[in-house]
Amino acid sequence: MQHLDEGTIHSWLDGALSADEAARVEAHVRECPQCAAAVAEARGFIAGASRILTALDNAPRGVIPVAAPRKRFDPLVWRVAATVLVVASASLLLFRDGGREVRNATVSADTVGNNTGPTAVADVAPAAPGNDETQRETAKAPPMTAKHSGTAGESKPQITKRDNARPSIDLAERSVAGVAVTDTLTGAKKRAGVTPGVAYSGITPPPASQPNIPARENNAIVDQKTGAATGNPPSSGYAAAPAAAPQAAALEVAPSRILLRGAMSPNALRGQLPLRVVGTPRTFGAKVTLYEVAPGDTVTLREESNLRLGAVVVTGARAAPQTRQSVEKSSAAEQAKRADSTGVNAADSQRSAGAVRSMAQAPSIPAPISRVEVADGVTTISWLDATTGNTLKLSGRIPEARLRQIKIRLEVERAAAAAAAKQNP
Amino acid sequence: MTDVERLFRTYNAALVRYLTRRLGDRDWAEEVAQETFVRALRQTSIQNERAWLFAVATNLVRDEARKDMRRRKHLALLAEEERDAMVESEETTLERAQEAAMARKAVDALAERDRLALLMREEGLDYNEIAEALELSPGSVGTTLSRARRRLVESYEALQKSQEEREKNAAS
Repeated sequence: MQHLDEGTIHSWLDGALSADEAARVEAHVRECPQCAAAVAEARGFIAGASRILTALDNAPRGVIPVAAPRKRFDPLVWRVAATVLVVASASLLLFRDGGREVRNATVSADTVGNNTGPTAVADVAPAAPGNDETQRETAKAPPMTAKHSGTAGESKPQITKRDNARPSIDLAERSVAGVAVTDTLTGAKKRAGVTPGVAYSGITPPPASQPNIPARENNAIVDQKTGAATGNPPSSGYAAAPAAAPQAAALEVAPSRILLRGAMSPNALRGQLPLRVVGTPRTFGAKVTLYEVAPGDTVTLREESNLRLGAVVVTGARAAPQTRQSVEKSSAAEQAKRADSTGVNAADSQRSAGAVRSMAQAPSIPAPISRVEVADGVTTISWLDATTGNTLKLSGRIPEARLRQIKIRLEVERAAAAAAAKQNP
Repeated sequence: MTDVERLFRTYNAALVRYLTRRLGDRDWAEEVAQETFVRALRQTSIQNERAWLFAVATNLVRDEARKDMRRRKHLALLAEEERDAMVESEETTLERAQEAAMARKAVDALAERDRLALLMREEGLDYNEIAEALELSPGSVGTTLSRARRRLVESYEALQKSQEEREKNAAS
């Protein structure tokens, strides 16, 4: 028999030959030392090749860096979370104790359209009030953000590339304090980019600008446009949206909607995110705060102190009712979050709604006069803060209508902070 | 379990290893493997699953096709499960890194067909499957493999030798 060729030897060793052929090869190898040596060599090559190929298994994951372990303790997030918590609990205390006037005043101003994300429509279940409501609320809120970010990243191939999951996590971490809670609650989830959609699909909230509120909440949605045009009757028990903003300005924001709830369910200025402070540059004679209102969009609030003796005296006298109203209004936001745990009273609701509305419309209280300037694309609203007597200037490269809404949010937040400070000096 | 899930669970590990060895990049390998399973979804019937998958993966590498992200999601989740279940190998030492670099060089020095046949064989494909995947005649697979193995080992040894010489020169 002819000597075996290398291919046949490998085929034989690989078990690829038919039984007949294999037997023939085996017989030959037994008799032929030359072929036996070739078989030994082939075995060596097979084992060697295998070993070499195994060395390739430690291949790097390419140039794309593997997603870093999630930063659990982002100091900023925790700071914001702590602030929100303090403000929230202070407001709650305030209204448990002395807030007889405002029970369930709620203003729903789905402020700035899409950028505020789904958090503008927090899911407050009207039924089943209980002690754990607050907890549930907290537990529910974060996924919205997570979900939102997940949705935002959906068009990207985030699942196949590890790093793509990262930006959405960042986004989520950045957007609200509530997400800090997500981190702790859903700490087990490794990659936010993938998990939220799966984990929370059951409690996906409606997007902010979409009117598909669950029917069980018995919400009627009134387009702000219609509301402004027809003039909603006060008896409807809802509070006109941005309190201090002229309705004309609100008209410009198309997706803005007012949530009008039934008599038994409170209106809500719900789930609005605190404006994110991105910087406080030091300036002489003024306090300057930079807020991020949307990714990449910032507004500047400049608070110039007009501290004069006269001003302090005069403002002090005037401040009381105004502060109170501001507090009422701001507390409405906090109150709404806990709407279920507090008793709902339609009369209260109307009353407080009226109180809030009066801030915007009632001529008896001198509403702060604001001035609007537009220069080089920067819109600036200046007004006198009735509480502190300081001149506030809010400016940003965004349309006036939107800036006004941010102004309102700022006022609400400032009032809430003031209330908290008052409560816990 | 859907059919593609079964395919995935059965072949993904081998396919990813094959592709990782072929491409030298695990991310890319996973991506191509996923794409392969996405293609499998579209098939009404596959005669020889393993041969088909390896052939498609090989072609995908050739075409660098990266499409159809949407359908990958599910597969990505499965891949993640699998990855989480896998124990990460210990830290790569310098020596191992050198070995890997030489192995990569030696593998890259092979002719494409030899390389693919060898990598497929390492993943357990039989001669008929390799022949089908690479459109070879079954009789030539043995020859292809023997050539591939010999060349791989020889070029690796040559690299090793020159490495040792370099080290010796550096030491003296």
